[in-house]
Amino acid sequence: MKNFSRRIVISLISAIPLLSIISVSKADVAEIKKKNVLVVGVKDSLYPFGFINEKSRTLEGYDIDFAKNIADKLGVKLELKPVTSANRIPLLSEGNVDLLACTMTITPERAQQINFSYPYFVSKQKFIVKKGTIKSLKDLENKKIGTTKGSTSEINVAKAIPSAKVLSFDDYPQAFLALQQGKVAAITTDESILAGILSKATKKEDYELPTFDISKEPYGLGVNKQNPELLKIVNQTILEMEKNGKAAETFNKWFGPKSSVPLTRDFKISP
Amino acid sequence: MSSYQFDLSIITNGKFAQMLVDGLITTIQLSSVSCVLAFIIGLNIAVMRLTSFTPIRIFAQCYLEFFRNTPLIVQLFFWYFGSFQILPTFINDWLNNLNFEFAAAVIALTFYTSAFIAEDIRSGILAIPKEQMEASRSSGFSYIRSMHYIILPQAVRLTIPPLINQFLNLAKNSSMAMVIGVGELTYQARQIESQSFKSFEAFFAATFIYVCISFIISGIINIYDKKVLNPMGKGTH
Repeated sequence: MKNFSRRIVISLISAIPLLSIISVSKADVAEIKKKNVLVVGVKDSLYPFGFINEKSRTLEGYDIDFAKNIADKLGVKLELKPVTSANRIPLLSEGNVDLLACTMTITPERAQQINFSYPYFVSKQKFIVKKGTIKSLKDLENKKIGTTKGSTSEINVAKAIPSAKVLSFDDYPQAFLALQQGKVAAITTDESILAGILSKATKKEDYELPTFDISKEPYGLGVNKQNPELLKIVNQTILEMEKNGKAAETFNKWFGPKSSVPLTRDFKISP
Repeated sequence: MSSYQFDLSIITNGKFAQMLVDGLITTIQLSSVSCVLAFIIGLNIAVMRLTSFTPIRIFAQCYLEFFRNTPLIVQLFFWYFGSFQILPTFINDWLNNLNFEFAAAVIALTFYTSAFIAEDIRSGILAIPKEQMEASRSSGFSYIRSMHYIILPQAVRLTIPPLINQFLNLAKNSSMAMVIGVGELTYQARQIESQSFKSFEAFFAATFIYVCISFIISGIINIYDKKVLNPMGKGTH
């Protein structure tokens, strides 16, 4: 008898996750308006996309500004929920969040599980070089190029410039030191990381980020496949932001020349 | 996750096999060059450590304490990044155009290992009865010649077992060179892991190769000991 009741308890406990899936109602746009809140999954420690402002103790960033605009468009309040790269897609498919704005690269594998908006940010893999030494990708042939171990940058650069010798270091500061000492001709990774390295460097005027890139990673906002109506509104909103200059304004706010990660905006939000 | 597909074919042919072979060649080059240099330097430091001429003895003492008591990884960074601050620009430019990663790794491994080898050989020299030195000196040999002809041949033979240890350590320590971007075996195994996500296969192969290298090293030295240094089977040990 004791054994039997224990079995019931165990089966009830194991059913809790199941119940939580059932209890979350299908969140379509009417439901969001009725609840009067749009729940958005964001990163909370990735400057400048989504991070906690130490003074105001609130979440801020490029992703969060986009989330705000979409909530405004719907006329509802905004609720931000910190997510990680590992749990964000399950949280969206289970309906715990309505929208994902968390530096998510649009990939075919992910597109099978969720819907993506038009790209609202494009991250590019670029290089830092000593000023005036490298004019184009061709100049890097047969040169040594530094990056970090285990990164996708390492694989991308080996594909893009097969004749180059890729030197992988443990960390970005070491790779940059190797560039400063002339041991490598360039270092390569995501543009936003490079801009961060450069902004902290001493004698940064000696280095530059050439305009060419070797890979583009478009970031999209994620919407549940069950909710095509929301996807439509999201796309409409970001296209409007592009038209009325709000998208560019947001970009300049976080990546403008006065920011700590100055980038140039060479993409436009378009279908 | 328990149903992990162990797939050795991924590392036995194609691009990844080539990467492992490249890594193996680099590891062998790195270890053998450092091995020879470390033995020569170690031998000299051991003799210098036992001379009665004080400045040389103090130099050898400092050398030993410095290279024995700092981590190898720190020495690697010192030679690779630190030397830039000391050397003049034209030498730096010249070095950077060569395979400086490899050279820095050889320098670090050589100095590090030579300190340990020197101590092993010194203990071998001290094990030879000092009457032998006195006898050869009174027969008219100089200090250096007595060392060369009488003492060292016996001392090195005594030192064979600890020397095997040092050479094995050297072969394994060469994996440390990956921190400055030398494409040796461990570096390549990590590359394969990050490109294929097959960590188990990659490191299984690397482990297997390291074990083989170690067996070969101790085998060669044992055979050399038996056939060349001690052919009659009645040495000093």
